[in-house]
Amino acid sequence: MTKLAVVRENPHVIDGSKSGDLDLKCDVCVVGTGAGGAMTASVLAAAGFDVVMIEEGGYWSAADFTMREKDTTPRLYQEGGTRTTKDLAMTILQGKAVGGGTVVNWTTCFRTPEDVVQTWHDKHDVKGFAYPDLVPHYEDIEKRLVIAKVDESTLNQNNRKLFDGCKKMGWSAETLRRNVYACMQTGFCGLGCPVNAKRSMLVTLVPDAIDAGARLVFRARADKLETVGNLVTKLHGTLLDAEGIAPTGKKITVTAKRFVSSGGAINSPALLLRSGISDDGRVGARTFLHPVIGGAGIYDEDITPYRGAPQSAASHHFAHRDGEVGFFLEAVPWYPSLTAGAAPTFGAEHLAFMKQVDKTATHIAIAIDGFHDDVPGGRVTLRESGAPLVDYPIPPRLWDTFRFAQKRLAEMQFASGAKEVVTLHDPPQRMKSPGDIDRVVDAAMFDVGRVPVFTAHQMGGCAMGDDASRSVVRSEDLRHHRIENLFVIDGSVFPTSLGVNPQESIYGLSRLMATRLAARK
Amino acid sequence: MNRRTFLKRGLAGGAVLLLGGGALALFPTKEQGAPTHALAVLEPRSFQVLVAVARRVVPATADGVKVAEGVDALLRRAPVEAQRDFNRLLGLFENALPGLLFDGRVLPFTRLSPESQDAVLAHWRDSRLTIRRTGYHALRRICLAVAYADEATWPAVGYAPPPASAYTPMAYDDSKVGVPS
Repeated sequence: MTKLAVVRENPHVIDGSKSGDLDLKCDVCVVGTGAGGAMTASVLAAAGFDVVMIEEGGYWSAADFTMREKDTTPRLYQEGGTRTTKDLAMTILQGKAVGGGTVVNWTTCFRTPEDVVQTWHDKHDVKGFAYPDLVPHYEDIEKRLVIAKVDESTLNQNNRKLFDGCKKMGWSAETLRRNVYACMQTGFCGLGCPVNAKRSMLVTLVPDAIDAGARLVFRARADKLETVGNLVTKLHGTLLDAEGIAPTGKKITVTAKRFVSSGGAINSPALLLRSGISDDGRVGARTFLHPVIGGAGIYDEDITPYRGAPQSAASHHFAHRDGEVGFFLEAVPWYPSLTAGAAPTFGAEHLAFMKQVDKTATHIAIAIDGFHDDVPGGRVTLRESGAPLVDYPIPPRLWDTFRFAQKRLAEMQFASGAKEVVTLHDPPQRMKSPGDIDRVVDAAMFDVGRVPVFTAHQMGGCAMGDDASRSVVRSEDLRHHRIENLFVIDGSVFPTSLGVNPQESIYGLSRLMATRLAARK
Repeated sequence: MNRRTFLKRGLAGGAVLLLGGGALALFPTKEQGAPTHALAVLEPRSFQVLVAVARRVVPATADGVKVAEGVDALLRRAPVEAQRDFNRLLGLFENALPGLLFDGRVLPFTRLSPESQDAVLAHWRDSRLTIRRTGYHALRRICLAVAYADEATWPAVGYAPPPASAYTPMAYDDSKVGVPS
């Protein structure tokens, strides 16, 4: 198997920042190299297709992953980590690099819950596959990415508090499955794995695809698909400088028999919208973000929340709430820049919060949007410049969910020994004992700009389904309903959110669909 | 402030904003420090306001100029519309006229005492107007995120990550991982 260093020197890998105008021809053009794109490209290339991958991000490697946010966050996240929803209520953490979000995710792996796939079938006309169709693909991916459940003994303090607190509350909790091999527990998964232990697309399926003959052009932004009748004829793109900030003035054009959009939720719908493919408003609609709120527990003992795997335990105890919006609980790591922005208030009070780092465990409640009628998700639109803009007004029922979840986070943290629990409201709301929880959280304001909301899971926007009046792509092969050679293979096709961290769901569905596509020469 | 007064002030404030923000400022922005290199996104006045904001928001670093320069560099990666909005936000934050309407101040932000500047930040934070709350957070968050990305701030909070040289990347070679290739 080829080493990464060798892959980067492969003549099939083109650095757009150093290239002149490019005019490429191929069988299949895949836009994006994350969980969907790398999977699709590797399957198709192995099947003998001539594949070109287009990636806006940079081709970084472990040597670039210095565990310093200054070096990594601006380069590895969309809009340098500054992306938000339209009303600024929600911070959007979304990867951008060769390897996509898999380079910066926290390695949590779940198969799509079977009941979610059933809901898609029953309520969203997804008849093209069933859960058993996905299983062999999950099994293959789990081998390839060395996905395995972590041992309870490896939990860092942050996750240990979550695990123990949930158990003490009588709530279900589990250790997580991670895509790592020989993990050194550096704790910096979110800034790119510095030791190549994370089995991201960067070190697995992107090199596989290139080994199998696929070409990769990075620092190339896909601007627009040119269509004639019911066919895409060309992809037009812009080559960007080495940091991906400014156009170099050079262009890329790709002519292909088939085009696959794998830019992920937000960027895939945006590409279609820029191409004039709106499908009467269905493109971009029903974008799901698994909106997140957090709470900090302050403990007597050392937590050191930047040591060890950032996520290794979770609780889905509240995932199914009768008639209400479900959520699940996970831990988050402490990186100074990320935490400083999320921590409440400013000046001396903010500094005092930051100084408690070694004693603080931060946990999150992740809301499962898209299942309850009152929480229908948001919409991807275009800014004047063509850049995507996510409009996600947080509905009252979701704020109610956050209030409920904030209480559960506090209960769990007190149960695991926290001496104080602090919400991320501004100003922060403080609780000294479980007896404070109802009074404090009931009095707290849950509204835009009162409490920060985050998203690290973007889904939807190009929904799959077999009713063309309600979806963008067919569920049997993720082909656009009208355009015969346009496919969307990434997290944007999910008709709801997932209720679990999304990477393995994207791998599984992408592998199934790429395999079906490969069968059609 | 009762609801009626609030609404009246809000309407008057809207009218003032419509009349044109920066041009109507009673006093010019007070110079906070010169940038050490050409700015990519921030307008000169925005930069000065941001330096003043950074100094109140981020006490762990005294170098407001460095923070504002870091924000300027980071915003290069944001869409042009977001860059424009950020400049407008800083103009609004500085402007004494809406300040007079909403915060009872007659001076631009950069000319206020540190205590009064903190009071303005708190006014925006606690405002009933969503746009002021989110504007406050946009300023606060980006200053803090940039400041704490700089290791100069770490000793003050006791953050001690391993040195960048602590680990050697494993050679990427699946044959060693023992999985099918």
